[in-house]
Amino acid sequence: MRETTRRQLTATAIVSAPLMWTLVFLFIPYLVMFTYSFYLKKFPTFVPAFEFVNYLTIISDPQYYQVLLRTAKIALTVAVCSFLIAYPLTYFLVFKVKSARLRSILYMAVIVPLWVSYLLRAYTWKTILGNEGILNSFLVWSGILSQPTDIFLYNQFSMVVTLTYIFVPFMVMPLYASLEKIPRSMIEASKDLGVGPLRTFWHVTLPLSMPGVIAGATFTICLTFGDFVAPFLVGGPNGAMIATIIQSQFGAALNWPLGAALSIIMLIIVLTIISVSDRLERAGRIDLN
Amino acid sequence: MKNLRKVLQSAGAVLAVMGMATAAQAAGEVNILTWEGYADDSFIKPFEEATGCKVSATYVGSNDDFAPKLAAGGGVYDLVSPSIDSTKALIEAGFIDPADMSRLPRYEEIYEKFRTAEGINHDGKVYGVPFSWGSIPFMYRTDKFETPPTSLNILWDPALEGKISLWDDKSAIYVASRVIGNHNIYDLSDEELEAAKAKLIEQKPLVRKYWATAGELVDLYAAGEVWISNTWGGYQSALLAEQNIPVQEFIPEEGAEGWMDSWLIVKGTPNEDCVYEFINMATTEEGQCGMSNVNGYSSANPVAAKNCMSEEQFKALHQDDVDYLDSLLLWTNLRDRLEHYTNTWNAVKAAN
Amino acid sequence: MSAIVEIQNVTKTYGGKVTAVDDLSLAVEEGEFVTLLGPSGCGKTTTLRMIAGFEIPTRGRIMLAGEDVTDLPPYHRQVNTVFQDYALFPHMTIQENVGYGLRVAGVPKSEVGPKVKDALVRVGLLDKAADRPAMLSGGQKQRVALARALVRQPKVLLLDEPLSALDAKLREAMQVEIKHLHEQLGLTFVFVTHDQREALVMSDRVVVMDQGKIVQSGTPSELYDQPASAYVADFIGNSNKLRGRVVDIQGRQVRVKVLGTEVSGLARQNGISVGDLVLMTVRPEKVQLLVEEEEAGSASLLSGTVLDNLFHGSTCRMEIDMGEGEPFVVDLQLRTALDQANLAAPGSRVRLAIDPATVSVFPDDGAFAS
Repeated sequence: MRETTRRQLTATAIVSAPLMWTLVFLFIPYLVMFTYSFYLKKFPTFVPAFEFVNYLTIISDPQYYQVLLRTAKIALTVAVCSFLIAYPLTYFLVFKVKSARLRSILYMAVIVPLWVSYLLRAYTWKTILGNEGILNSFLVWSGILSQPTDIFLYNQFSMVVTLTYIFVPFMVMPLYASLEKIPRSMIEASKDLGVGPLRTFWHVTLPLSMPGVIAGATFTICLTFGDFVAPFLVGGPNGAMIATIIQSQFGAALNWPLGAALSIIMLIIVLTIISVSDRLERAGRIDLN
Repeated sequence: MKNLRKVLQSAGAVLAVMGMATAAQAAGEVNILTWEGYADDSFIKPFEEATGCKVSATYVGSNDDFAPKLAAGGGVYDLVSPSIDSTKALIEAGFIDPADMSRLPRYEEIYEKFRTAEGINHDGKVYGVPFSWGSIPFMYRTDKFETPPTSLNILWDPALEGKISLWDDKSAIYVASRVIGNHNIYDLSDEELEAAKAKLIEQKPLVRKYWATAGELVDLYAAGEVWISNTWGGYQSALLAEQNIPVQEFIPEEGAEGWMDSWLIVKGTPNEDCVYEFINMATTEEGQCGMSNVNGYSSANPVAAKNCMSEEQFKALHQDDVDYLDSLLLWTNLRDRLEHYTNTWNAVKAAN
Repeated sequence: MSAIVEIQNVTKTYGGKVTAVDDLSLAVEEGEFVTLLGPSGCGKTTTLRMIAGFEIPTRGRIMLAGEDVTDLPPYHRQVNTVFQDYALFPHMTIQENVGYGLRVAGVPKSEVGPKVKDALVRVGLLDKAADRPAMLSGGQKQRVALARALVRQPKVLLLDEPLSALDAKLREAMQVEIKHLHEQLGLTFVFVTHDQREALVMSDRVVVMDQGKIVQSGTPSELYDQPASAYVADFIGNSNKLRGRVVDIQGRQVRVKVLGTEVSGLARQNGISVGDLVLMTVRPEKVQLLVEEEEAGSASLLSGTVLDNLFHGSTCRMEIDMGEGEPFVVDLQLRTALDQANLAAPGSRVRLAIDPATVSVFPDDGAFAS
């Protein structure tokens, strides 16, 4: 074999490896899933077919849009809560912490929990929010409550708290990047033109950090959409989310076709969110130079 | 694929021949997909030493896990231990081989009710060897009730708001149906399912959490979150007793479901010898008492149980009480009604 | 005339270690165009930022129109800044950028519109009013930045190296434009640059800074012709340098033995005595090339060998080997074609006459040893 051919082959191999990986582990499974979604459930398993029954079921049975709506509501709430927590924190890191060393230490402190097991972090909230948990113990001890309350755990509130806590780093990371990218001269220029700090934030800093806000919201919404651990660990009787239902179709109901159809719909929703956010980001993307 | 199977089969045959040559030492392996307490070292270790069969166990969290694992492709597991309501689907889906009765000398000792169960008999052949059984009784915190509860109606008592838990399973429908008065719980019509759904939705504000795993229910009791729930009879109550949480199981007036687990041989297993060695061990003294001691479940083979249990244990596990066994509503396969049950249960969880 | 900006003994240190500005005092007259000139790190930008309010002096006061503004935040000071990177808001159109300060301050729309329009007309960008900054060229962005700063009618306009990002040709055009703007508006401009030519072209007064201190302050011609230190002589324009020992001093007239002969010059600093080692500087265009047997008169006379002639269009730069040290540089005006034809060819001997009035003499502290 000649040297050039060999080199070309090597190059092709290097390029095609990730492509192959994507094909084999991403597209083919999606394709399989898509095919299954047209199959028919038939005891004991299911039979190949090309029918839209599963999609019709999802449209006609109110339980599915109820759960989708609930999932969307929780995802949005998580995104808003993450934003409200992450923005002041990140703003403080980027603009108020002068020492670069301290800043990177604090940033890491926010990000590092990502390396701790998701389950462990979710579990922590059980011990905080529970009937005999830290929060209730404190409230009873301090005399604010005479008896422990069960309003903190096993409901949508505890799911939002847990998911927000877990996904906040995904909001912080893009926000940090976009806030850091804002030239200080922009903010100085605003103040120079007679505009005070609050209105400078509102008119200059916030609009310029929108790409980070959008990216963070996309992360948190999409991650929440696919979550089934929080409903399982801290969700109450009204905690079922779309991923919980999909899991039950693949498991308990042994109805893979319906599960596949639900997955495809969820995939479409998530892809829609991503493409809308991409568009928003593009529209708002600003050449900072 | 076909070739591979042939190779495996012939490999199995070679192993079988070797097994015969060294009768006492059927060197080989057996891969089982089962519940956590069913492959406990207390009886697995001696088995491995005696037979030379290496046991590799993978655990399931629910009966729903067997079918997807077997459907995902063969060659991984040799033996599975689903409950009696999940066996038929596996058999009809062609995942299971019938048992060779000539290699199960003590099969006849098992309770007749189990041996004749529809879920393990198919086309005149036996597809499963009963192993363990129990009930789905209810359980309550004795320190929280002045008068012990006796009826399922208490699960709809607003006074217990936030202290009730139910198993996150179609079993909730069985419970609601019995309360309504529909005792044909394994054969509910669409209307009866709707009625159960309405009853369960009515109960939702009172429910603290639907429990999904054995450990979760134990945690819920231990953390004081839940005072009353259904339970896997004998199992969680024992774990709670270890933590000094005062709980008591009871069979409600409306009756309780019963369950039974069997060993099923995965189609085309290359480890037949070890598989039969394992089943024979599991369904006789060693495995029966081993299982009962670890899990607190009753044994399917009363003859073996009698041999290895104390008089008290034998009584406590209702091994001598055929009436008790008969009073249980033994889980039945729901066949094509399963998806309706599951969807009904999902609809309950989806409702706001 | 009265001082509109007064910097009184201002010191700025960072972290107690780095001193950016060191006990600096400066008064800027109303309507003056003052340029702070110096290499990077000399403290000129820090000084400007303290006038703007972006930095708070460690010590000293800053007065603006007679009012002490030392502790006022930038948004309460009647000064505006043109930033080096323009700092136009990318998410606003050009007119929104220009009208931003007025709009947010609550000036009625009916007033903002005409003011923005006036400002854009003044910088010739009315047709770009609805565009985003990203669509403009560097020079256009610069004009928008000017319009935005001027629309608020500040008492002082601060310009922080506003032309450094532009290419040479555009830079020259903008220099003229800014200078005209200053003349039209009669406003006080404080301009910061490291480009000495820019400073000379534009300013009424140039303040040369080094290591946080003012080295010399004066009109461009004062700085050029009467540098107060060897540093200024070197930093501003080109200089030929000669080193030698003082043989005689008459008042400020100093005679120095150098290159085997004697050259006279004017002492720019005190404390030079006979026998001292001194540095003499002379501008290349102030050196005269003597023709044939022409008399030198009162001028000092040197001779050397032509190394090269570098053609610069209107001038020719002649490099001359003096036998030792750096080659001497002489700029000759080429007025006629004959001038060019008559240039001494490389290799020929030439004689140079240097008028003592054009020679500056400084104590030789070795700063420019080469």
